[in-house]
Parts: sequence; C-alpha cells; structure tokens
Amino acid sequence: MSDSLLLLAIVLGLLALRQYILVVLAAVVAYVYVVWGDGRIENLILDAWDALSSDVLLPIPLYMLAGAVMAEGAIAGRLIRVMRALAGPIPGGLAVATCLSCGLFAAIVGSSTVTLLAVGTIMYPALLQAGYSKSFSIGLICAGATLGIIIPPSIPLILYGVMTSTSIADLFLAGVGPGLLLLALFALYSVAVNWRRRTGSWNLTELLDSLREGLWAMLMPVVILGGIYSGVFTATESAAVAVVYALFVELLIYRKLDLRGLLRVTGETTRLLGGLFPVLMMALALNKFLTFEQIPGRIVALLSGVLDSPGEFILATNLLLLVVGCLMDIGSAILILAPILQPVAEAQGMDPVHFGIMMTVNLEIGYLTPPMGLNLIVAMTAFRENFWFICRSVLPFIALMLVGLAVVALWPPLSLFLLKN
Amino acid sequence: MNSAQSSSGGPPSGLASLLAGLRQAELVVTTSAFVVLAVVIFADVVMRRVTGSGLVWAREIGVLANVVLTIIGIGLASADGTHLRPRLLDHIFPDSWDAALTRVQELLTALAFAALAWIAVSVVLETIELDDRSVVLRWVLWPVQACLPLAFAVAALRHGIYAWRISLRPRERGEGDVA
Repeated sequence: MSDSLLLLAIVLGLLALRQYILVVLAAVVAYVYVVWGDGRIENLILDAWDALSSDVLLPIPLYMLAGAVMAEGAIAGRLIRVMRALAGPIPGGLAVATCLSCGLFAAIVGSSTVTLLAVGTIMYPALLQAGYSKSFSIGLICAGATLGIIIPPSIPLILYGVMTSTSIADLFLAGVGPGLLLLALFALYSVAVNWRRRTGSWNLTELLDSLREGLWAMLMPVVILGGIYSGVFTATESAAVAVVYALFVELLIYRKLDLRGLLRVTGETTRLLGGLFPVLMMALALNKFLTFEQIPGRIVALLSGVLDSPGEFILATNLLLLVVGCLMDIGSAILILAPILQPVAEAQGMDPVHFGIMMTVNLEIGYLTPPMGLNLIVAMTAFRENFWFICRSVLPFIALMLVGLAVVALWPPLSLFLLKN
Repeated sequence: MNSAQSSSGGPPSGLASLLAGLRQAELVVTTSAFVVLAVVIFADVVMRRVTGSGLVWAREIGVLANVVLTIIGIGLASADGTHLRPRLLDHIFPDSWDAALTRVQELLTALAFAALAWIAVSVVLETIELDDRSVVLRWVLWPVQACLPLAFAVAALRHGIYAWRISLRPRERGEGDVA
C-alpha cells in the first residue's frame, strides 16, 4: 500500500512541477518495473520499442498528414458554401449550415481546433450578421467542432483501437451512427431555437456551382469509409490512400498547396506526432506491464463484486469519464484509461467497439468543459470573448451531448449497425 | 515557433544557432521518414490491387520509418512546445513563482530525458550483442534503435538549455489536440 501511495505522490509531484505527460508516464512505468516487476529498468525502453514497432500505429501519422494537407487549402470555404446553399433557406438555416460544415470539415481534417478556427472564422461573423445571438453562435461552433472526434477517421478512435486491440476499421464504422446522431441533435436544436430566422430561398444554380467546387473535398470521407466498408482497404491502407487523395485534391484540383506548403504541413504534423507518439509508446509499455501482471483481470474481479448490473457500470464509467474529460486531454485519457476500463466493460457484457464509441463520445464533451476544455480556450482567443461567457454559451450543447451520450450508451445498435458480424 | 526565434533577451547566439540547426536536421529526417512511410504503404495498396500481391516488405519499411519519425519527432515537439502536458495542478503555486517553476520544470525534464537516454544506450548495446534483425528484410535493427538514445540525449540537451536560458524556450501550445 505504501508503494502505491508513494507512486501517487510521485505522479502528483511531477504534475505540480509541470512535467510533460511523457515524463510522468515514463516515471510511472519505471517505478512499476522496479517496485512490482523484475527490477530491470531496461524493460521500460524495450517495451516502448516493441510498442513502437507495431504496424497498428501506422494509420495515425498518415491520417494526421491527410487532415493537415486538406486543412491547408481552401476547403473550409468551399464546404461552407455547399452547406449554406443546401440548408440556408430552412428555418435556422445558417446555424444548420454551420453544424453541417463543422461535421463534414471535422471528418475531413480530423482536428477539433482546426475546425473551430476554420469554420468559426467564416461562420461566426456571418451568424452574428444574420441576427443569431452571440451566445448561441459561439456555443454552436465550439460544439460542432468536436464532431470530428467521433466521425471517422478519428485519431482518438485509433488510439482506443491500439490500446485495446480492437479493430480500427470496426471503430470507424461504429462512429458513423453516433456522429450523425449528435449532428442531428445540434441541427434540430438550431432549427428549434431559430425557427423564425430564414435567409433567402433555394437557388439550384448556386447549389450546383458550390457542389462542383466542394465535391472533391466532400468525397474524402466517402472514399475512406467506402474503402473500409467494402473491404478494399484496411485502416492502414485507407490512411495511405487518404494522404494520396488529399495531395491529389490540393495539389492538382484545388491547387492551393505548393511544395513549400506541403513541407510546412508535414513539419507541423511531425511536431504534433512528436508530442503524441512518445506518450503512446510509454502508455503501451505500461499497458504491457499491466497485462503481464494480470492487473485488468484483478480490476474486473474487484469491480464485479461491487457493480450489480451493466447499467451501474455504464453510469459509473460515464461519471468517471466526464470528470476525467474536464481535467485531461482526450488522447491521454484514452491511453491511460481504455486498457483498464475495456476489460471491465467486456466482463459486463459490453461490446468493445460499443464501449470505445461510448468512451469517445463522453470524452468529446471534455472539449467543452472547464477548466481544460480546449475548444473553450481556443474560442476565447479566436473570438476575443470572455472565458466564462463561452462556458455559459456551450451549456445547452453540453446538455444535447449528454442526451446523445445516453442514447449511445444505452442503445448499442446505433453504433454497431454497420458492422457486418 | 522556432526556438531560435524565441529569443527576446539577447541570449548567446551560439546556443540559438545550435538549437536552430538541431531543429532543421530533425525536420529533414522526419520529413524524409514521412515520405518513405506514405510511399511504401500506398505502393503496397496499389501493387495489391494491380498485381494481386502486395509488397511483403512494405509494412516493415513503414514501421521503421514510423519509428524514426516518432523518435526524432520528440526533439521537434520539444523545439516547438507541442509535448502534451496536463495543466490541472498549474495553479497550486503562487503566480510569482512562475519563472522559478519554469526553470525547475525544464531542468527536471532534461534530467528525465538524460536518464531515458542512459537506459536506451544499454538496450541498444544489448540489441547489437544479440544481433537482432527485422523479420522480413533481415536488416540489423540497432541503427534504427540508436535513434532512441540519440533523440533522448538531444531532448535532454535542449531542455537543459531552456532551463539555463529561459528566453530560448518556446511558448507551449494548447493541451494535446489530437483530434
């Protein structure tokens, strides 16, 4: 027990001294090897090396690069034009167009903050100009930008797949239903709140023109998901296809990206990977130790005696994840908690794919909750608004996401309907 | 932000140049690894669709390229302040301690990376002794594995310099945006 308390004290001490999560995890892994393992600290590096030498990690850099390439060009403007032409004339149409733009753009670039900035920069002034309230507009853009986490391809879903040995292709397919549910909830709320606001009527010429310009970008998720669903690509192969498709669209069709821009984008992606992958490496090393020592099995046995039903487990897990989402970024939370919670979920009869989707939807809410909500912080800087005003603005959307989370948690077919067996 | 550009209080130009040079070298290596990774995996897909059989070595090359990309990327993340850091306990100390805490933070990080480099050296020596090779191409693994101690040592040097010359330290980016 005193060993555990000492470990907790080390972790808290390192966090208080503002250490990177890589350093904290490395300290934890070294400690558990020395205190509870065979005492051979080299296993820290050996296990990290083994983790890194696995081909299941290959989709992550490739999807990140594809998203960064697509984000570099002018696709945000093109997608928004399509969505405005499509949804503009319905009640609350501009808000619905914002939701759709966020969902589609996030699905293509896979980044919540890039979506917030790219779509928000165009749509926030447009919404204000059309008479939408400041609070509603900011809340909508902050919430809409989180959709990329669940709509495939999604890096958090890949991280979950890597940490729990769950099929990444299945996770991608399972993310479609919940992603569309959240999108529908945001859109319906936008219509309900802005019932009296309409902007113009449908213009077929404008719609066709905008579709012609935006079609190539909109096809990217179709190519990826279609390829995976039809069995043509694995997740890794679809990631390589996504990179080549993104380069084809940006270099040859839209021609907004040159070689210099491509090098800059690659460098930027590498920097993000340099922050993420070493953490993943240490988390996988820790996971290996935990599995070797049968810790998840012991946790399952311990919790099975405490939890009376799967319902209790779902409730307890979601409450835990909501708290964690407030304090930690989604990547770190998945890396640390997924391998511990997933075996418990499986013991409670939950499908591992369904659990991964529920976990990701839950942690998605963490982007909107203080004090660490990344979208709140980015919106505060980008839109020059007060932090607490933004926190209040996202409250209705957090409520909608909690409704969505409840549906996702309690109705597995929503996630699993696209899976073939 | 380039660490060499973050200088505001006139730190020694030699240190700034050293950091800039390291960053440039890391950028060249990681970008090359990225190109190799994307090209071999895509070539594998194309060959499988065209000839019915993929490139058996493609995954192995892809994995090795990814290893280089990741490990050398540690230095780039240090150079540009993109390492993930939980901020939940950031405010337990008074704001007036910030400057001192930043030095302690960088010094501790440098020590941690130096320790990792030391451990990684022994692992690489063991790999050389055992003559570990890749499964398909039978390449010796230690040259790629040697990136580990090298990258950790460079990161230790970099964070040590930040602790010594705080003005060279890059501004930290937002917390872990992986999605």
